[in-house]
Amino acid sequence: MVNEANGSYMMVTADSLSTIQLFKALSPRTHRCLAEKAVLAVYPTGVDLYRQGDPPSGLFALQSGRVKLYRRSKEKCQILALPLPGDCLGAESLPTGGLSPYSATTLTPVKAVTLPADVLQTLLDEHADFQEVFLRLITDRLKQFVTLVHDLAFRDVTSRLATVLLARAELEGRPHEAGGVYFDRLLSQQEYADMVGTAREVVYRTFKKFEDDGLVRLTRDTIYILDLDTLRVIALQEAR
Amino acid sequence: MADYSSVKIEELYDIPAFRNLPDEQVRSLAAVMVRRNYAPGQMIFMEGEQAGSLWFVAAGQVKIIKQSLNGRIQGLCLMNRGKCFGSCPLFDMEKNPASAQALNQVTLFVLPDEAFQQLKTRDPQLVKALLHVYSQRLEHLSRVSEVLGSWSVADRINDCLLTYADRTEPQPTIELTHEKLASLVGTVREVVTRHLTHLEKEGVVRNEVGRITLLNPNALLPPCACPDETTTP
Repeated sequence: MVNEANGSYMMVTADSLSTIQLFKALSPRTHRCLAEKAVLAVYPTGVDLYRQGDPPSGLFALQSGRVKLYRRSKEKCQILALPLPGDCLGAESLPTGGLSPYSATTLTPVKAVTLPADVLQTLLDEHADFQEVFLRLITDRLKQFVTLVHDLAFRDVTSRLATVLLARAELEGRPHEAGGVYFDRLLSQQEYADMVGTAREVVYRTFKKFEDDGLVRLTRDTIYILDLDTLRVIALQEAR
Repeated sequence: MADYSSVKIEELYDIPAFRNLPDEQVRSLAAVMVRRNYAPGQMIFMEGEQAGSLWFVAAGQVKIIKQSLNGRIQGLCLMNRGKCFGSCPLFDMEKNPASAQALNQVTLFVLPDEAFQQLKTRDPQLVKALLHVYSQRLEHLSRVSEVLGSWSVADRINDCLLTYADRTEPQPTIELTHEKLASLVGTVREVVTRHLTHLEKEGVVRNEVGRITLLNPNALLPPCACPDETTTP
């Protein structure tokens, strides 16, 4: 396999496929085919897996590490999702043959099972069960975006930041001995602003307010959620 | 008044998602699809109601709107001819995440969920058509998120003008009131009026009651370098 786009490649093992929830529904035949055609790739931090406006990308099934999905225009940026290990991303525009609707960039070193677009197209054409799995992938992302659109339309910045923190606490939070949960900070202040859809200063002030009210504690690398219940109440407020 | 007459095969070929389907599949779709007509302003379905069908716009425009707990209405988009909306049960959403309202005289082709589920299990070609629809929707929703999250109100109004302009006229026109534009953009009428007055002074648009003419559409281009940005939602 050619080494392109800063990724180094390895063979895919049955083990590495079994960590991807979506692939569990595949028949043994499709599974074998996938294992033959896919590669396990390693990407350093800050690499674009694909870019908004590019032709349809391949599929990336995250084994480890984190990625941000975002749309950018001029200097502004909207982060759309932060897939977790076990999630799949990419190939969003393959069914229409259109351009990628957003970009994907690694936030940490990433290991991903990678399927190039042409291989993916063959799998979609020849394996009905893979088609079902891909449909599930697209619809899961759609559901996520429906929620995001609602939050951006109706919740104010305070409530949106609370929503982002809660979602991460629920998916990634590890219990802390002093009560509450904690997770890796992962994003810069600017990136939190890009998730919430506001300016960095506003996110800074909102974090400060949450800290003053004893809801969260921030260190350089970690966010501690001290009062999940109050954060939940704030997250549900619809200001507009 | 609802009209339940059947759908013709050649009419289905007008829908982009079905364009590449073989005759046989289109025939089986036409057999289970229903035509329905809606008057301007009529609600097609409501947010929060049990979801149930896939809807294709055969004529007219459908407005997709969301409502907050406080009753504020946010227009998300207009669905033009050939576009598809609804379909939540297919992606496990039991309730409609938004409402749909006929903006003008509208004809829809409806594919009931049950009929689709039956066709789908027999037919990978149809799943492909559905993937086309969903992929398009994903592009659209990511774009709506960006617009809501990161553009200024002026950017959003400009984007709305470009998106909904009728380009069959020699000069693109939009037949929407300031009130309707405001609801689509997520702002109030005064802000839209102020911005349009500013644009008129700059010679970018001409403002008449219920009608805006784009004199210089390029001046409205949204702050996005992505070349796919001129597509309708």
